[in-house]
Amino acid sequence: MEPSVRRLESDAEVPDEAFEDEIIDLDFHVNPLEDELLEYVEDDRAYDKLTTEFGATPVMGKWDAAYGIKEGQEGLFTQGRAKYAEDVQEACESIAVDEPIVNAGINNLNHQHHPVLKNAVAQAANDYMLDHFADEGIYTSMMVPKWDPDYAVEEIERMADENNIVGAYSWFDPKVPWGNEQFDPVFEALVEHDLPLLLHGSLAYWPQHSYIGDDMLTWTEVLGFDWPIHAMVNVVNMIMRGVFDKYPDLDVVIQEGGHWWVPFLRYRMDEFYEMHPEDIQITPRKMDSGERYLERAPSEYLRDNIYLCTQPFALPRNAREAESLLDLSMADDMFIYSSDWPHQTLDPPTWFYTSRAFDDHTKEQILSGNAKEILDI
Amino acid sequence: MVDRDNFTKVAEVGDIPEGEGEGFDVDGIEVAVFNTGDDYYAINNRCSHQRAPLCKAGDEKINAEDTWTGERGGLNAEACTVSCPWHLWEWDLETGEHEASGQRIGTFDCVVDDDDILVRI
Repeated sequence: MEPSVRRLESDAEVPDEAFEDEIIDLDFHVNPLEDELLEYVEDDRAYDKLTTEFGATPVMGKWDAAYGIKEGQEGLFTQGRAKYAEDVQEACESIAVDEPIVNAGINNLNHQHHPVLKNAVAQAANDYMLDHFADEGIYTSMMVPKWDPDYAVEEIERMADENNIVGAYSWFDPKVPWGNEQFDPVFEALVEHDLPLLLHGSLAYWPQHSYIGDDMLTWTEVLGFDWPIHAMVNVVNMIMRGVFDKYPDLDVVIQEGGHWWVPFLRYRMDEFYEMHPEDIQITPRKMDSGERYLERAPSEYLRDNIYLCTQPFALPRNAREAESLLDLSMADDMFIYSSDWPHQTLDPPTWFYTSRAFDDHTKEQILSGNAKEILDI
Repeated sequence: MVDRDNFTKVAEVGDIPEGEGEGFDVDGIEVAVFNTGDDYYAINNRCSHQRAPLCKAGDEKINAEDTWTGERGGLNAEACTVSCPWHLWEWDLETGEHEASGQRIGTFDCVVDDDDILVRI
Protein backbone atom coordinates (compact mmCIF):
# COMPACT_ATOMS: atom_id res chain seq x y z
CA MET A 1 0.00 0.00 0.00
CA GLU A 2 1.28 3.46 -0.88
CA PRO A 3 2.14 5.53 2.19
CA SER A 4 -0.02 8.54 2.89
CA VAL A 5 1.91 11.83 2.69
CA ARG A 6 0.41 15.20 3.51
CA ARG A 7 2.10 18.59 3.78
CA LEU A 8 1.42 20.27 7.14
CA GLU A 9 -0.12 23.57 6.12
CA SER A 10 -2.29 24.46 9.10
CA ASP A 11 -1.49 27.62 11.03
CA ALA A 12 -2.55 25.86 14.23
CA GLU A 13 0.37 25.25 16.57
CA VAL A 14 -1.47 23.53 19.43
CA PRO A 15 -3.58 20.35 19.52
CA ASP A 16 -6.94 20.48 17.69
CA GLU A 17 -8.88 19.91 20.93
CA ALA A 18 -7.66 23.28 22.21
CA PHE A 19 -9.75 24.99 19.55
CA GLU A 20 -12.89 23.35 20.93
CA ASP A 21 -12.45 24.82 24.41
CA GLU A 22 -12.97 28.39 25.57
CA ILE A 23 -9.56 29.80 26.45
CA ILE A 24 -8.99 33.13 28.20
CA ASP A 25 -5.39 34.37 28.35
CA LEU A 26 -4.85 36.73 31.27
CA ASP A 27 -1.35 37.91 30.40
CA PHE A 28 -0.93 38.99 26.80
CA HIS A 29 1.58 41.76 26.18
CA VAL A 30 1.38 44.31 23.41
CA ASN A 31 4.32 46.58 22.65
CA PRO A 32 3.50 50.00 21.22
CA LEU A 33 6.24 51.72 19.29
CA GLU A 34 7.75 54.47 21.44
CA ASP A 35 6.91 57.28 19.02
CA GLU A 36 3.30 56.19 18.68
CA LEU A 37 2.92 55.84 22.43
CA LEU A 38 4.39 59.25 23.19
CA GLU A 39 1.91 60.95 20.87
CA TYR A 40 -0.65 60.19 23.56
CA VAL A 41 1.20 62.10 26.32
CA GLU A 42 -1.09 64.98 27.23
CA ASP A 43 1.21 67.18 29.27
CA ASP A 44 3.43 69.29 26.99
CA ARG A 45 6.20 69.60 29.54
CA ALA A 46 6.39 65.87 30.07
CA TYR A 47 6.17 65.27 26.33
CA ASP A 48 9.08 67.64 25.73
CA LYS A 49 11.32 65.83 28.21
CA LEU A 50 10.26 62.37 27.09
CA THR A 51 11.15 63.16 23.50
CA THR A 52 14.60 64.62 24.17
CA GLU A 53 17.71 62.57 23.63
CA PHE A 54 17.13 60.98 27.02
CA GLY A 55 14.25 59.03 25.53
CA ALA A 56 11.08 57.73 27.01
CA THR A 57 12.43 55.16 29.37
CA PRO A 58 15.36 56.43 31.46
CA VAL A 59 15.83 53.44 33.73
CA MET A 60 18.17 53.51 36.70
CA GLY A 61 21.28 51.43 36.14
CA LYS A 62 20.36 47.80 36.28
CA TRP A 63 21.76 44.46 35.43
CA ASP A 64 19.62 42.38 33.15
CA ALA A 65 18.85 38.69 32.96
CA ALA A 66 18.81 38.56 29.18
CA TYR A 67 22.26 36.93 28.97
CA GLY A 68 20.49 33.62 29.62
CA ILE A 69 18.46 33.87 26.45
CA LYS A 70 19.79 32.76 23.10
CA GLU A 71 18.73 36.01 21.48
CA GLY A 72 19.30 38.31 24.46
CA GLN A 73 16.82 41.16 24.80
CA GLU A 74 15.04 39.87 21.72
CA GLY A 75 13.59 37.34 24.17
CA LEU A 76 10.97 39.99 24.83
CA PHE A 77 9.90 39.62 21.19
CA THR A 78 10.42 35.89 20.62
CA GLN A 79 7.05 35.62 18.87
CA GLY A 80 6.81 39.11 17.42
CA ARG A 81 5.45 42.47 18.43
CA ALA A 82 1.75 43.28 18.68
CA LYS A 83 1.03 46.95 18.14
CA TYR A 84 -2.65 46.86 17.19
CA ALA A 85 -5.74 44.73 17.68
CA GLU A 86 -5.30 42.77 14.46
CA ASP A 87 -1.82 41.68 15.55
CA VAL A 88 -3.25 40.22 18.73
CA GLN A 89 -6.00 38.45 16.83
CA GLU A 90 -3.49 36.92 14.43
CA ALA A 91 -1.29 35.66 17.27
CA CYS A 92 -4.22 34.15 19.14
CA GLU A 93 -5.46 32.17 16.16
CA SER A 94 -2.48 29.83 16.12
CA ILE A 95 -2.51 29.08 19.86
CA ALA A 96 -6.30 28.72 20.27
CA VAL A 97 -6.75 31.69 22.60
CA ASP A 98 -10.31 33.05 22.37
CA GLU A 99 -10.10 36.03 24.68
CA PRO A 100 -6.72 37.63 25.35
CA ILE A 101 -6.64 40.20 28.15
CA VAL A 102 -4.03 42.61 26.83
CA ASN A 103 -1.75 45.00 28.68
CA ALA A 104 0.66 47.67 27.50
CA GLY A 105 3.61 45.61 28.66
CA ILE A 106 5.86 48.48 29.79
CA ASN A 107 7.24 46.46 32.63
CA ASN A 108 10.26 48.64 33.28
CA LEU A 109 8.10 51.71 33.91
CA ASN A 110 7.82 50.94 37.60
CA HIS A 111 11.61 50.99 37.79
CA GLN A 112 12.11 54.33 36.06
CA HIS A 113 13.19 57.28 38.11
CA HIS A 114 10.99 60.31 37.56
CA PRO A 115 7.46 60.04 38.98
CA VAL A 116 6.00 62.82 36.84
CA LEU A 117 7.36 61.36 33.62
CA LYS A 118 6.24 57.91 34.71
CA ASN A 119 2.72 59.20 35.27
CA ALA A 120 2.79 60.76 31.81
CA VAL A 121 3.76 57.43 30.26
CA ALA A 122 1.07 55.62 32.24
CA GLN A 123 -1.55 58.11 31.02
CA ALA A 124 -0.32 57.74 27.45
CA ALA A 125 -0.28 53.95 27.68
CA ASN A 126 -3.85 53.87 28.96
CA ASP A 127 -5.08 56.13 26.17
CA TYR A 128 -3.14 54.16 23.54
CA MET A 129 -4.68 50.92 24.81
CA LEU A 130 -8.11 52.48 24.81
CA ASP A 131 -7.82 53.62 21.21
CA HIS A 132 -6.12 50.59 19.73
CA PHE A 133 -7.51 47.72 21.78
CA ALA A 134 -10.45 48.40 24.11
CA ASP A 135 -12.29 50.40 21.46
CA GLU A 136 -11.50 47.64 18.96
CA GLY A 137 -13.25 45.04 21.07
CA ILE A 138 -10.21 43.54 22.84
CA TYR A 139 -10.45 43.13 26.60
CA THR A 140 -7.81 45.34 28.16
CA SER A 141 -6.16 45.82 31.54
CA MET A 142 -5.44 49.47 32.27
CA MET A 143 -2.14 50.49 33.80
CA VAL A 144 -2.09 51.50 37.48
CA PRO A 145 0.89 53.64 38.60
CA LYS A 146 1.98 51.93 41.81
CA TRP A 147 4.44 54.71 42.66
CA ASP A 148 1.68 57.30 43.01
CA PRO A 149 -1.51 55.97 44.66
CA ASP A 150 -3.35 59.29 44.26
CA TYR A 151 -2.70 59.31 40.54
CA ALA A 152 -3.54 55.61 40.41
CA VAL A 153 -7.00 56.39 41.76
CA GLU A 154 -7.38 59.22 39.25
CA GLU A 155 -6.54 56.90 36.40
CA ILE A 156 -8.89 54.19 37.67
CA GLU A 157 -11.72 56.75 37.89
CA ARG A 158 -10.92 57.96 34.37
CA MET A 159 -10.65 54.56 32.75
CA ALA A 160 -12.76 52.07 34.67
CA ASP A 161 -16.08 52.71 32.97
CA GLU A 162 -14.70 52.58 29.45
CA ASN A 163 -15.88 49.60 27.43
CA ASN A 164 -13.69 46.50 27.59
CA ILE A 165 -11.51 47.70 30.46
CA VAL A 166 -11.63 44.60 32.62
CA GLY A 167 -8.62 44.75 34.91
CA ALA A 168 -6.06 47.03 36.52
CA TYR A 169 -2.44 46.17 35.75
CA SER A 170 0.43 47.01 38.06
CA TRP A 171 3.49 45.26 39.50
CA PHE A 172 4.77 43.36 42.50
CA ASP A 173 8.35 44.22 43.32
CA PRO A 174 10.94 44.49 46.09
CA LYS A 175 9.76 47.97 47.03
CA VAL A 176 6.72 48.81 49.16
CA PRO A 177 4.57 45.66 49.34
CA TRP A 178 0.90 45.86 48.48
CA GLY A 179 -0.24 45.24 52.04
CA ASN A 180 0.85 48.77 52.94
CA GLU A 181 -2.06 51.02 53.91
CA GLN A 182 -1.05 53.69 51.38
CA PHE A 183 -2.78 51.53 48.76
CA ASP A 184 -6.19 51.53 50.48
CA PRO A 185 -7.59 54.27 48.19
CA VAL A 186 -6.52 52.17 45.20
CA PHE A 187 -8.26 49.10 46.64
CA GLU A 188 -11.40 51.14 47.33
CA ALA A 189 -11.51 52.38 43.75
CA LEU A 190 -10.93 48.91 42.35
CA VAL A 191 -13.66 47.35 44.47
CA GLU A 192 -16.04 50.16 43.61
CA HIS A 193 -15.48 49.54 39.91
CA ASP A 194 -15.29 45.76 40.26
CA LEU A 195 -11.84 45.56 38.70
CA PRO A 196 -9.33 42.88 39.73
CA LEU A 197 -5.80 44.04 40.51
CA LEU A 198 -3.33 42.28 38.21
CA LEU A 199 0.20 42.33 39.64
CA HIS A 200 2.91 41.44 37.16
CA GLY A 201 6.61 40.92 37.78
CA SER A 202 8.47 44.17 37.31
CA LEU A 203 11.51 43.71 35.10
CA ALA A 204 14.06 41.81 37.10
CA TYR A 205 15.56 44.37 39.42
CA TRP A 206 16.36 42.67 42.61
CA PRO A 207 19.83 41.87 41.22
CA GLN A 208 21.37 45.07 42.38
CA HIS A 209 21.68 46.96 45.62
CA SER A 210 21.32 43.83 47.75
CA TYR A 211 23.86 41.21 48.73
CA ILE A 212 21.86 38.29 47.37
CA GLY A 213 20.74 40.13 44.29
CA ASP A 214 24.23 41.27 43.41
CA ASP A 215 25.35 37.64 43.35
CA MET A 216 22.58 36.44 41.08
CA LEU A 217 24.22 35.85 37.73
CA THR A 218 21.71 33.67 35.90
CA TRP A 219 18.33 34.04 34.30
CA THR A 220 17.09 30.95 36.12
CA GLU A 221 17.70 32.61 39.48
CA VAL A 222 16.42 36.05 38.55
CA LEU A 223 13.29 35.35 36.57
CA GLY A 224 12.67 31.88 37.91
CA PHE A 225 12.99 32.64 41.60
CA ASP A 226 13.42 36.35 42.28
CA TRP A 227 9.93 37.08 40.99
CA PRO A 228 8.18 34.26 42.89
CA ILE A 229 9.91 35.26 46.12
CA HIS A 230 8.53 38.77 45.81
CA ALA A 231 5.15 37.47 44.69
CA MET A 232 4.93 35.34 47.82
CA VAL A 233 6.07 38.18 50.07
CA ASN A 234 3.44 40.51 48.60
CA VAL A 235 0.63 37.96 48.93
CA VAL A 236 1.46 37.13 52.55
CA ASN A 237 1.86 40.83 53.34
CA MET A 238 -1.61 41.61 51.99
CA ILE A 239 -3.22 38.74 53.86
CA MET A 240 -1.54 39.24 57.24
CA ARG A 241 -1.99 42.99 57.17
CA GLY A 242 -5.74 42.61 56.83
CA VAL A 243 -6.27 43.89 53.28
CA PHE A 244 -8.92 41.28 52.58
CA ASP A 245 -10.77 41.80 55.84
CA LYS A 246 -11.14 45.44 54.90
CA TYR A 247 -11.76 44.71 51.21
CA PRO A 248 -13.30 41.22 51.04
CA ASP A 249 -14.38 41.76 47.44
CA LEU A 250 -10.89 42.64 46.20
CA ASP A 251 -9.47 40.11 43.74
CA VAL A 252 -5.72 40.04 43.14
CA VAL A 253 -4.03 38.18 40.30
CA ILE A 254 -0.30 37.47 40.40
CA GLN A 255 1.16 37.34 36.90
CA GLU A 256 4.42 35.54 36.25
CA GLY A 257 5.10 35.13 39.95
CA GLY A 258 4.92 31.34 39.95
CA HIS A 259 2.11 29.16 41.23
CA TRP A 260 3.47 25.91 42.64
CA TRP A 261 4.30 27.68 45.92
CA VAL A 262 0.67 27.61 47.01
CA PRO A 263 1.00 24.45 49.17
CA PHE A 264 3.96 26.00 50.99
CA LEU A 265 2.09 29.21 51.71
CA ARG A 266 -1.27 27.78 52.66
CA TYR A 267 0.05 25.40 55.31
CA ARG A 268 2.85 27.58 56.60
CA MET A 269 0.73 30.72 56.94
CA ASP A 270 -1.94 28.86 58.94
CA GLU A 271 0.63 27.11 61.10
CA PHE A 272 2.44 30.29 62.06
CA TYR A 273 -0.67 32.43 62.45
CA GLU A 274 -2.55 29.97 64.62
CA MET A 275 0.52 29.45 66.81
CA HIS A 276 1.15 33.13 67.50
CA PRO A 277 -1.50 35.59 66.26
CA GLU A 278 -1.08 38.29 68.91
CA ASP A 279 0.65 40.79 66.64
CA ILE A 280 -2.25 40.99 64.19
CA GLN A 281 -4.05 43.47 66.49
CA ILE A 282 -1.23 45.98 66.19
CA THR A 283 -1.17 46.11 62.41
CA PRO A 284 -2.54 49.46 61.22
CA ARG A 285 -5.85 48.30 59.76
CA LYS A 286 -6.63 46.23 62.85
CA MET A 287 -5.62 49.14 65.09
CA ASP A 288 -8.28 51.17 63.29
CA SER A 289 -10.96 48.52 63.40
CA GLY A 290 -10.19 47.32 66.91
CA GLU A 291 -10.22 43.70 65.78
CA ARG A 292 -7.83 41.32 67.43
CA TYR A 293 -7.45 38.65 64.78
CA LEU A 294 -7.97 38.03 61.10
CA GLU A 295 -11.55 37.09 60.37
CA ARG A 296 -10.52 33.84 58.68
CA ALA A 297 -7.59 31.47 58.44
CA PRO A 298 -4.87 32.95 56.18
CA SER A 299 -5.20 30.13 53.65
CA GLU A 300 -8.85 31.01 53.10
CA TYR A 301 -7.93 34.44 51.75
CA LEU A 302 -5.42 32.74 49.53
CA ARG A 303 -8.14 30.54 48.06
CA ASP A 304 -10.79 33.25 47.74
CA ASN A 305 -8.97 36.50 46.96
CA ILE A 306 -5.77 35.49 45.19
CA TYR A 307 -5.44 34.10 41.66
CA LEU A 308 -2.26 32.99 39.95
CA CYS A 309 -1.41 33.05 36.28
CA THR A 310 0.14 29.78 35.21
CA GLN A 311 2.89 30.78 32.81
CA PRO A 312 5.21 28.99 32.54
CA PHE A 313 3.23 26.02 33.81
CA ALA A 314 6.23 23.68 34.34
CA LEU A 315 3.96 20.71 34.94
CA PRO A 316 5.51 17.56 36.42
CA ARG A 317 5.81 14.92 33.69
CA ASN A 318 4.23 12.25 35.87
CA ALA A 319 0.47 12.78 35.59
CA ARG A 320 -0.35 11.42 39.04
CA GLU A 321 2.18 13.71 40.67
CA ALA A 322 0.91 16.62 38.59
CA GLU A 323 -2.69 15.92 39.61
CA SER A 324 -1.74 15.88 43.30
CA LEU A 325 0.16 19.11 42.94
CA LEU A 326 -2.79 20.77 41.19
CA ASP A 327 -5.02 19.65 44.05
CA LEU A 328 -2.65 20.84 46.79
CA SER A 329 -2.29 24.13 44.93
CA MET A 330 -6.05 24.73 44.87
CA ALA A 331 -5.79 25.08 41.11
CA ASP A 332 -9.56 24.77 40.66
CA ASP A 333 -9.97 27.98 42.63
CA MET A 334 -6.75 29.89 42.01
CA PHE A 335 -5.10 29.15 38.65
CA ILE A 336 -5.76 31.19 35.52
CA TYR A 337 -4.19 30.36 32.18
CA SER A 338 -1.78 32.89 30.67
CA SER A 339 0.45 32.73 27.59
CA ASP A 340 2.77 35.72 28.21
CA TRP A 341 2.83 36.23 24.43
CA PRO A 342 5.27 37.27 22.91
CA HIS A 343 7.95 36.65 25.54
CA GLN A 344 10.61 33.97 25.84
CA THR A 345 8.62 31.95 28.36
CA LEU A 346 5.58 31.78 26.08
CA ASP A 347 3.13 29.14 27.27
CA PRO A 348 0.66 27.95 24.65
CA PRO A 349 -2.08 25.82 26.24
CA THR A 350 -0.54 22.49 25.27
CA TRP A 351 -0.25 21.16 28.83
CA PHE A 352 -3.98 20.65 29.09
CA TYR A 353 -4.02 18.34 26.08
CA THR A 354 -0.79 16.41 26.55
CA SER A 355 -1.10 15.49 30.24
CA ARG A 356 -3.69 13.28 31.92
CA ALA A 357 -3.40 15.32 35.11
CA PHE A 358 -6.38 17.56 34.30
CA ASP A 359 -9.97 16.42 34.74
CA ASP A 360 -12.60 18.34 32.78
CA HIS A 361 -13.50 20.61 35.68
CA THR A 362 -9.92 21.58 36.52
CA LYS A 363 -9.14 22.23 32.88
CA GLU A 364 -12.21 24.43 32.44
CA GLN A 365 -11.54 26.37 35.64
CA ILE A 366 -7.97 27.18 34.63
CA LEU A 367 -8.67 27.91 30.98
CA SER A 368 -11.71 30.12 31.52
CA GLY A 369 -13.79 29.56 34.68
CA ASN A 370 -11.65 31.38 37.21
CA ALA A 371 -10.99 34.26 34.85
CA LYS A 372 -14.70 34.72 34.17
CA GLU A 373 -15.36 34.77 37.89
CA ILE A 374 -13.33 37.93 38.37
CA LEU A 375 -13.51 39.65 34.98
CA ASP A 376 -16.60 41.37 33.69
CA ILE A 377 -16.57 39.66 30.29
CA MET B 1 21.64 3.82 -5.45
CA VAL B 2 18.67 4.35 -3.15
CA ASP B 3 16.34 1.50 -2.33
CA ARG B 4 13.17 3.49 -2.82
CA ASP B 5 11.05 0.73 -1.31
CA ASN B 6 12.32 1.77 2.10
CA PHE B 7 11.74 5.48 1.57
CA THR B 8 8.76 7.75 1.14
CA LYS B 9 8.76 10.72 -1.20
CA VAL B 10 7.70 13.86 0.64
CA ALA B 11 8.68 16.61 -1.81
CA GLU B 12 10.79 17.51 -4.80
CA VAL B 13 13.96 19.55 -4.98
CA GLY B 14 12.87 23.18 -5.15
CA ASP B 15 9.84 22.68 -2.92
CA ILE B 16 11.77 23.53 0.26
CA PRO B 17 13.78 26.75 -0.09
CA GLU B 18 17.36 26.78 1.14
CA GLY B 19 17.55 27.71 4.82
CA GLU B 20 13.96 26.70 5.47
CA GLY B 21 11.92 23.70 6.51
CA GLU B 22 8.55 22.11 5.74
CA GLY B 23 6.35 19.79 7.76
CA PHE B 24 4.85 16.56 6.50
CA ASP B 25 2.50 13.95 7.87
CA VAL B 26 3.77 10.56 6.70
CA ASP B 27 1.35 7.82 7.66
CA GLY B 28 0.41 9.76 10.78
CA ILE B 29 3.98 10.62 11.79
CA GLU B 30 4.88 14.31 11.71
CA VAL B 31 8.26 14.98 10.14
CA ALA B 32 10.01 18.31 9.58
CA VAL B 33 12.41 18.41 6.61
CA PHE B 34 15.06 21.14 6.46
CA ASN B 35 17.19 22.28 3.54
CA THR B 36 20.62 23.49 4.72
CA GLY B 37 21.80 24.13 1.17
CA ASP B 38 24.20 21.19 1.24
CA ASP B 39 21.77 18.58 2.44
CA TYR B 40 18.25 17.80 3.52
CA TYR B 41 17.55 16.65 7.10
CA ALA B 42 14.41 15.06 8.52
CA ILE B 43 13.54 15.28 12.22
CA ASN B 44 10.50 14.69 14.43
CA ASN B 45 8.28 17.73 13.94
CA ARG B 46 7.47 18.12 17.64
CA CYS B 47 9.84 19.66 20.17
CA SER B 48 9.98 17.43 23.23
CA HIS B 49 9.66 20.40 25.57
CA GLN B 50 6.11 21.49 24.80
CA ARG B 51 5.31 19.95 21.41
CA ALA B 52 5.87 23.09 19.34
CA PRO B 53 5.91 22.37 15.59
CA LEU B 54 9.54 22.60 14.47
CA CYS B 55 8.49 23.10 10.85
CA LYS B 56 7.45 26.62 11.90
CA ALA B 57 11.04 27.46 12.87
CA GLY B 58 12.19 30.43 10.85
CA ASP B 59 8.66 31.76 10.26
CA GLU B 60 8.47 35.52 10.17
CA LYS B 61 7.37 37.20 13.39
CA ILE B 62 4.32 39.40 13.62
CA ASN B 63 5.57 42.91 12.79
CA ALA B 64 9.04 41.49 12.21
CA GLU B 65 10.28 44.90 11.08
CA ASP B 66 9.89 46.15 14.65
CA THR B 67 11.90 43.32 16.18
CA TRP B 68 15.60 42.52 15.87
CA THR B 69 15.85 38.93 14.66
CA GLY B 70 12.70 38.91 12.52
CA GLU B 71 12.15 35.16 12.73
CA ARG B 72 10.85 32.70 15.30
CA GLY B 73 13.79 30.38 15.90
CA GLY B 74 15.16 28.92 12.69
CA LEU B 75 17.69 26.79 10.86
CA ASN B 76 21.40 27.21 11.51
CA ALA B 77 22.91 25.55 8.43
CA GLU B 78 26.51 25.89 9.59
CA ALA B 79 25.85 24.26 12.95
CA CYS B 80 23.31 21.90 11.40
CA THR B 81 20.74 22.70 14.07
CA VAL B 82 17.22 24.03 14.24
CA SER B 83 15.92 26.17 17.09
CA CYS B 84 12.32 25.80 18.20
CA PRO B 85 9.93 28.64 17.29
CA TRP B 86 8.55 28.87 20.83
CA HIS B 87 11.47 28.69 23.29
CA LEU B 88 14.53 28.38 21.05
CA TRP B 89 15.47 24.87 22.18
CA GLU B 90 18.24 23.99 19.76
CA TRP B 91 18.06 20.54 18.14
CA ASP B 92 20.95 18.82 16.33
CA LEU B 93 19.54 17.76 12.97
CA GLU B 94 21.90 14.80 12.68
CA THR B 95 21.54 13.32 16.15
CA GLY B 96 18.24 14.77 17.35
CA GLU B 97 19.93 15.88 20.56
CA HIS B 98 19.25 18.96 22.66
CA GLU B 99 22.63 19.51 24.24
CA ALA B 100 21.58 21.38 27.40
CA SER B 101 19.02 18.81 28.55
CA GLY B 102 20.45 15.70 26.91
CA GLN B 103 17.00 14.94 25.51
CA ARG B 104 16.68 13.45 22.04
CA ILE B 105 13.92 13.41 19.46
CA GLY B 106 13.72 11.16 16.42
CA THR B 107 15.65 11.81 13.23
CA PHE B 108 15.05 10.09 9.91
CA ASP B 109 17.27 9.24 6.98
CA CYS B 110 16.65 11.76 4.25
CA VAL B 111 18.07 11.53 0.71
CA VAL B 112 17.59 13.05 -2.71
CA ASP B 113 17.05 10.67 -5.60
CA ASP B 114 16.26 11.86 -9.07
CA ASP B 115 15.16 15.24 -7.67
CA ASP B 116 12.80 13.56 -5.23
CA ILE B 117 13.26 14.22 -1.49
CA LEU B 118 12.84 10.90 0.26
CA VAL B 119 12.45 10.12 3.95
CA ARG B 120 12.82 6.72 5.62
CA ILE B 121 10.27 6.36 8.42
